[in-house]
Amino acid sequence: MAFDVLFNQFMSGIARAAILFLVASGLSLTFGVLRVLNFAHGSLYMLGAFLTYSIWKFLLIPSLGFYLALILASLIMGAIGLLIEWLLLRRIYSRGWPEQLLATYAIILLITDLVKWGWGGEFLSIPRPEPFTGAVSMFGFPFPSYNFFIILLGLGLVFFLWWLVYRTRLGDIIRAAATDREMVSALGIPIPWLFTWIFVLGALIAGMSGAVAAPFGAIRLGMDVEIIIECFAVVVIGGMGSLPGTLLGSFIIGEVYSFGIMYKPELALAFIFIVMAIVLIIRPWGFFGRPER
Amino acid sequence: MKSNPKKNKTSLKKYWWVALLLAAAVAAPFFISEFYLTIFGEALIMSLLALSFNLLFGYMGQLSFGQAAFYGISGYTVAMLITKAHFNFWLSLGAGVVVAAALGLIIGFFCVRLRGIYFSILTLAFAQLIYFVIYKWHDFTGGDDGIQGVYPPDFLNSSIHYYFFILIVFILATFILWRIVNSPFGYTLKSMRENSERTEFLGISIAKYQLTAFVIAAAYAGLAGALWAPFYRSMAPSALFWLKSAEPVNAAILGGPSLFFGPIFGMFIMTFFHAWVLAYTVFWAFIMGILILIVIFLLPGGMLGFVQEKIKERRENRNPTTGIN
Amino acid sequence: MFLTTQSLTKEFGKLRAVNEVSLEIRQGDIHAIIGPNGAGKSTFFNLITGYHPVTSGKTVFKGKEITHLPAYHRCQLGLTRSFQITSIYPKLTVYESVLMGLLSHRRATFNFFGSARSYYKKEVWGILEDVGLADQADRAGDSLSHGDKKRLELGITLGTEPEVLLLDEPTCGMSPDETESTMTFVKKLVEDRGLTILFTEHDMSVVFGIAKRISVLHQGTLIADGTPDKVRSNEEVRKVYLGESK
Repeated sequence: MAFDVLFNQFMSGIARAAILFLVASGLSLTFGVLRVLNFAHGSLYMLGAFLTYSIWKFLLIPSLGFYLALILASLIMGAIGLLIEWLLLRRIYSRGWPEQLLATYAIILLITDLVKWGWGGEFLSIPRPEPFTGAVSMFGFPFPSYNFFIILLGLGLVFFLWWLVYRTRLGDIIRAAATDREMVSALGIPIPWLFTWIFVLGALIAGMSGAVAAPFGAIRLGMDVEIIIECFAVVVIGGMGSLPGTLLGSFIIGEVYSFGIMYKPELALAFIFIVMAIVLIIRPWGFFGRPER
Repeated sequence: MKSNPKKNKTSLKKYWWVALLLAAAVAAPFFISEFYLTIFGEALIMSLLALSFNLLFGYMGQLSFGQAAFYGISGYTVAMLITKAHFNFWLSLGAGVVVAAALGLIIGFFCVRLRGIYFSILTLAFAQLIYFVIYKWHDFTGGDDGIQGVYPPDFLNSSIHYYFFILIVFILATFILWRIVNSPFGYTLKSMRENSERTEFLGISIAKYQLTAFVIAAAYAGLAGALWAPFYRSMAPSALFWLKSAEPVNAAILGGPSLFFGPIFGMFIMTFFHAWVLAYTVFWAFIMGILILIVIFLLPGGMLGFVQEKIKERRENRNPTTGIN
Repeated sequence: MFLTTQSLTKEFGKLRAVNEVSLEIRQGDIHAIIGPNGAGKSTFFNLITGYHPVTSGKTVFKGKEITHLPAYHRCQLGLTRSFQITSIYPKLTVYESVLMGLLSHRRATFNFFGSARSYYKKEVWGILEDVGLADQADRAGDSLSHGDKKRLELGITLGTEPEVLLLDEPTCGMSPDETESTMTFVKKLVEDRGLTILFTEHDMSVVFGIAKRISVLHQGTLIADGTPDKVRSNEEVRKVYLGESK
């Protein structure tokens, strides 16, 4: 196997990992603080992609249009996140995980039909925006320059989240709330307010990931379940709630998918499963996670 | 030594309504149209799927979002054996259930290593994988086209006859499941749901029992699928899509997961409601989502659970709460 | 050699919660593990019963090494525990809860067709009367008083007909009267059923009144081990407990 082919696939894997990281980090963030695994996170991602398409189509501004659509879609998803948190989520924080899971599952059902109603069952696509329309030659292979955009954005998010969690006062609160919610509340910090904004941030990130992913592949129904399963694989491998774990997991799944496609396209998903299965047998709590008790 | 006065009631007295429902089910074909009979039959089949889900949820405390995988793979097994291998009908049905149970063993082996949300997502993930395999494997499964021309043997080939066939299988299967959940095995599942740590420290290997329950649930889902293929006369990949797995979830939650008959009740309501709603809209997932949210916020314990609570509240004057059924 | 640990150690990251504890628990003894808060008593219990994996060391029960056996397996061998935070079945009745212990121990749990409630009626009532909960047999677990819940847990563990019963702070949260009656009952268990009891405790009066042997842990290390008199006169023990209120 020629080095250049391998390198090309490797870089594709990085791009895919970047998208995964974008999505999974939002999920990890909400789980870390709210202790609720937002099953509907993938639906927010999908809705973000569809919204981006519609806004882009409506704006019809060449090159800048996409970026505007990305920003707008992300903000709209943040607002939808606010709606979801305010209407539904905050009433079930005190309930057991089955009800929380069922509630977020219900949201998946709602959003999936919402998308079907709004956009039909068609596959939609957006062309890659300027200046990332072309390809960069890497070792003689064309590598879509848009992938660099994705990778840059992924890195940007890593730094943003790192800065937010470890360098700001909000981050201190986040980390404290993740370990001891009651203590934080006792210190006078309004937990409900914190939860709302963390969830909104998570939804915003999900929407943004969907927007970013839109030119990367087809925008279609089923994106929601696909991505949530891949996020789950990321989290199984990396360990829940851990930023370095999410990075590692994203990287592994991204590469497995990329090389899997090269080998046999239909089986790419199966390869992810095999990796997940192995991790589940050897180390069910992931590389950076801790055993259940 | 006080003994539970309830125990002295004979089974017939307590379950008179079951006998009534059975009588109604047997009489049904002679009073309702063929169209409604088909829906009734569908409700019976899907109730087995709902029971399979609730064995894992109501009794074991785990949410499986992938029961349709076992249902679908069994249906496909039956469809392919009948149409391509011209296999014996009865053996095909049996093979369907066995294949479903075997798949349950494999998938369950991985799933029972996880609890809570992780278990649930893994069931979803496996179900999607199976869906994709069936969808993509055009040469073997017919892919998007599905498999057509699945017919039951001649003497079952009429609506009324097949309906009675479904009813008989349903009654037998439900009775067996009833025995299972009231057996020491079922007891163990309930105790695992209540406090799995305590049960583990009483000498029970949680994984072993969860796996066994998982396989039984897969077998019941497989039974539903096996009945479905000759009923619908065809199989399509949509039978394994994740939205199909949502139906038993919804039915059990709607009817009430803490009661054995809850899921059956929920599924009957859903099936008839779905048939009615289909005339007006195709957005059934949205409706299911709304129903789940309504139950979570307004009717915890589902419809039957709600009714049971009200009855209990009236009796609560003298006796303190007794255990779950 | 009935139940022994050899240099049992547990580290949580950099924290050494249990430090090379070697103990022998003799058959038929009532053996107490005492020590101030944070001494590692519960962690030590967790190592013996399989709640936590050990970092190093061995646990041997009746000649068989059980150090790495899963928790449920140890229970099947005859080692049952209670938890400091009472662990019972909230919605099962008292009767059903005790029955669960028996079903498990008598290996009746993989039975798919019998009616669970028809099993072991005599044994269940026997245990219920022993722990004094016979008149509350039909009450749901979480409707009981705190003291009754602890007795229920005791009843559940007795269902497994153990050889060694490990009780983690059995009198935690009890009034002096309840404490006394519980410990008297524990003593009776040893006499009637030939049990061996290992328990952790804060309250010195409880310990010295009933334990045959006492082991003292301090910051994870075993600092004294022997008869009550020997322990009582141990210098280091006195130092550690100086200022500790009774």
